[in-house]
Amino acid sequence: MRRRDFVRSLIAAVFASRGLSAQEAAKPQLPIAAPVPWTLGLNPKTPIPHTTVAEGIAEAKLSFFSATQMETLKRLCGILVPPIGGRPGAVEAGTPQFLDMLIGQSPEPRRTIYTGGVDWLEAEAQKRYKLPFSKLEDDQASAMLKPWLRTWMSDHPPVESHADFVNVAHDDIREATFNSEAWAEAPPTVGHEGPPTGIYWSPIDPDTHATGENGKPHVEAAKGAAGMPVYPR
Amino acid sequence: MKSEVFDVLIVGSGHAGGMAAKILTEKGIRCLMLNAGPVADVSKDTTRTPAYELPYRGFTPPGRVEHVFQANEFNANVWVDEQEVPYTFDTEHPYNWVRVRLFGGRSLFWSRQSFRLSDYEFKAKSHDGFGEDWPISLADLAPFYSRVEEIFQVAGALDGPPQMPDGNFVVDDDPWTPSMQRFIAAATPKGIPVCKQRRAMGRDGLASSVNLLLPDAEKTGKLTSIANAVVRTLTVDKNTGLPDGCIFIDRHTQQEMSVKARVVVLAAGTLESTRLLLNSGLANSSGLVGHYLMDQIYGAGLVCSVPEARGGKGKGIMGGAAIVPRFRNISTKSDKFLRGYAFNVTSSTGGVGARNFAAFGAELLQKMEEYHGSSFHMGIMGEVLGRKENHVRINPAKVDAWGIPVLHVETKYTDNEYNMAKDAVETATEVVESAGFEVLSKNEAPNPPGYSIHEVGTCRMGDDPKTSVLNKWSQSHDHKNLFVVDGAGFTSAGWQNPTMTILSLSMRASEHLAEEMRKLNL
Repeated sequence: MRRRDFVRSLIAAVFASRGLSAQEAAKPQLPIAAPVPWTLGLNPKTPIPHTTVAEGIAEAKLSFFSATQMETLKRLCGILVPPIGGRPGAVEAGTPQFLDMLIGQSPEPRRTIYTGGVDWLEAEAQKRYKLPFSKLEDDQASAMLKPWLRTWMSDHPPVESHADFVNVAHDDIREATFNSEAWAEAPPTVGHEGPPTGIYWSPIDPDTHATGENGKPHVEAAKGAAGMPVYPR
Repeated sequence: MKSEVFDVLIVGSGHAGGMAAKILTEKGIRCLMLNAGPVADVSKDTTRTPAYELPYRGFTPPGRVEHVFQANEFNANVWVDEQEVPYTFDTEHPYNWVRVRLFGGRSLFWSRQSFRLSDYEFKAKSHDGFGEDWPISLADLAPFYSRVEEIFQVAGALDGPPQMPDGNFVVDDDPWTPSMQRFIAAATPKGIPVCKQRRAMGRDGLASSVNLLLPDAEKTGKLTSIANAVVRTLTVDKNTGLPDGCIFIDRHTQQEMSVKARVVVLAAGTLESTRLLLNSGLANSSGLVGHYLMDQIYGAGLVCSVPEARGGKGKGIMGGAAIVPRFRNISTKSDKFLRGYAFNVTSSTGGVGARNFAAFGAELLQKMEEYHGSSFHMGIMGEVLGRKENHVRINPAKVDAWGIPVLHVETKYTDNEYNMAKDAVETATEVVESAGFEVLSKNEAPNPPGYSIHEVGTCRMGDDPKTSVLNKWSQSHDHKNLFVVDGAGFTSAGWQNPTMTILSLSMRASEHLAEEMRKLNL
C-alpha cells in the first residue's frame, strides 16, 4: 500500500469509529446477553428496605405457659408494671408473650421458678379470694405480692420461696417492658428511663474484613472486592 | 511448603502476649503470635441498636453464655460461646469462666483498675504464715510497674499506704466531692484508708494490647500474627526434649497446621495456658500445673443513698470514685480470716436501680424519681487464698469444637472468703451509717468463683522446682525455653486487679528472655 493510501484509510477508520461511539452513546446500554456475575449486584448504594419488628404487628403463638398460667402472668404484668404517664404498661408492651418465648427457651431452673410462681399465685388467689388471680382487683393482687418484695443487689435475687419468683419476675417484666418497641415509641414523660439503646456486636465470624488500619493488629485476611460498580440514579 | 522457624512463638494476644511481642520484637527477635479468635473491628462489627430490635429485647440469649454474668444480648457475641468451648465442673460448685478470644483478648474489655501488688502480697507467707512467698519482691518489679504505668497512662493520686504502693501516675488532684468527704470522715476514725481510684486511661479511650502494645511490635517488622489459630498442643524436639513449636487448628476449616520456634511463650490467659500445658504433658514435674487456682471475691457490697442529694439536689454533692485498699490484717490481726479485701466506692449522679426499693408500679416510680442522683455504692474485691485442692484438670471425656479436651474446674470458696465478705458488708454498713447515708440494699454472698475475671495461679512461680512450676523469670523449671507470662504464674492473688502485675511480669520475663537469647543461652 502506498503511504498516501495508508494515511487515508487510517483517517477513515478513526472517523468511522467515532461515529459508532456516538451512536452507542445515544441509545441505552443493553444488558449483556449472558448470565450476570451474581455477586456484583448489591453495592453500597443499594437502598436498604425498611422493616419493622414483628411484635407490634403479628400475634405470637404461645408455647410454654398453659392458658391459665398465661392469664396469671398477664395479670401479674399488669399489676407490677401498669401504664403510667403516657407510657405503656407491660401488657401493652407485649411482655407476657415475650416472656412465654424467653422463659420457654431458658434453662430449667428459670422455667421452674416461673411455672411454680404463677401456679402458686393462682392457688393462693383461689385460697384467699376464691377467684383466679387473673380476676383479682388491684388491691387484692397487691396484698398478695407486697409481702414478698425485697431489695436486692445484682446477681443475688432473694432465695426464699415466693420472694424469689416475685422479685425475679418483677425485674424481668420491667426490663422486657422498657426494652420493648411500644415503650421506645412512647413520649418520655415519666422518670429518667428513656428508650434503651446499646452498642450491638454482630457475630464476628468469619473474620474476613480485618485491615490492620488504625492501630489494629494486622492479620492476613481476605480483601473486599475492588471497584464497586456505580449506577447513577 | 517450607515452614519458617521463628525465634519465639507467642500464644495469645492480650496484655501478656502483647507486652511480650513488644519487648521481644523491639530487641530484634522475630516472633509469631497465634490467637484463637478473629480480629474485632468496632467500625464494622458494631451498630447502635435499640433493644427492641434485638430478638431477645436485650436479655442474654438463653443458655448461650450462662456463666458470663457480664453478658447481655448487645455483647453476647464477644464472649466465648460455652457450647463451642465448654468446660466442666461439679454443679454444686459452679465456676464462671469469662473468656474473650478476639484478637487482643480481654484487654479489649476491662475495668482499667490499675494497682501494684505490695510486699504484703509478694511476701504474704512471711507476714501471716499461709501459702508461699513469691520468689520476687516489690523492689524487683517496681521498675517494670513504672514503665507499664507510663505506657498505660495510669491516673491516680500519690496517696497510697504501704499496702497500695504509689506509682508513676498521671496525677489526679481533683478535689473530693462532699459525699466523698463525708464518707472519708466516717471511715478514717475506724482505721480505714480512702484513696483516689487508679485507672489506666490508655490512648484514645482504650487501654488494650491492640492499641498500646501490638502497634509497637508491628512497627519493627518482626511480628507475624495469625488469627483464628486454635492451639491444640505444644510440640517437642525429640532430641532435646524441649518445646519447639505447636500444632494448631484453623478455626474455620478445622485444618491442622504446625509451626516451629526456638522459644515458646504462653500468654493465652491463666486457664488456657494451663490447659495447653496439661494437654501437652509439659512443665509438670512438680505435679502442680493446674493447682492453686485463685481469684478475688466480688459481688458482696451495698447500695445506699445520700439523703441530702435526693429530690434533684445531688449536683455539687455527688460524684467521684475511691478505692479503699485492704486494711484488715495489716497492723492488726483478724480472728475470722486471713488476708483482706478492698472496696470500690462510687458516688453516683445517675439513677438508682429498681431493685433497691421493695415497691412496684407508681410507688416504685415515685421512689426512683425521688432518689435519683443520690446513690452511693461499695463493692468488695477480696483475696482468695491459694489452696492446692482448688485446681483444674483435663476432662478427657469432653472436647471442644476443634476436638481439644476441655478443662474440668474444681474450686470453691471456704469460710475464709465467706467470713471476709460478711466482715466487708458489716464494716461498710457501719461506715455509711456513720456518714448518715441510708442503706438500700446489701449482699454478703460472693458471686461464683471466676466472676471477677481475675483468675490467677495454676502455674505458680517459686524458687523450688518441687513446689512451683515457674521460676522467678516466669520460666518453666523443666524446660528452659518455655515461659508462661500471664496470670498463671501468680503465687498469691492479692486483692488488686492483676493487670498491671501481669503486664510487668511479662515485660520483665521478656527482657530476661531476650538477654538469654542474646547470650545464646536459649
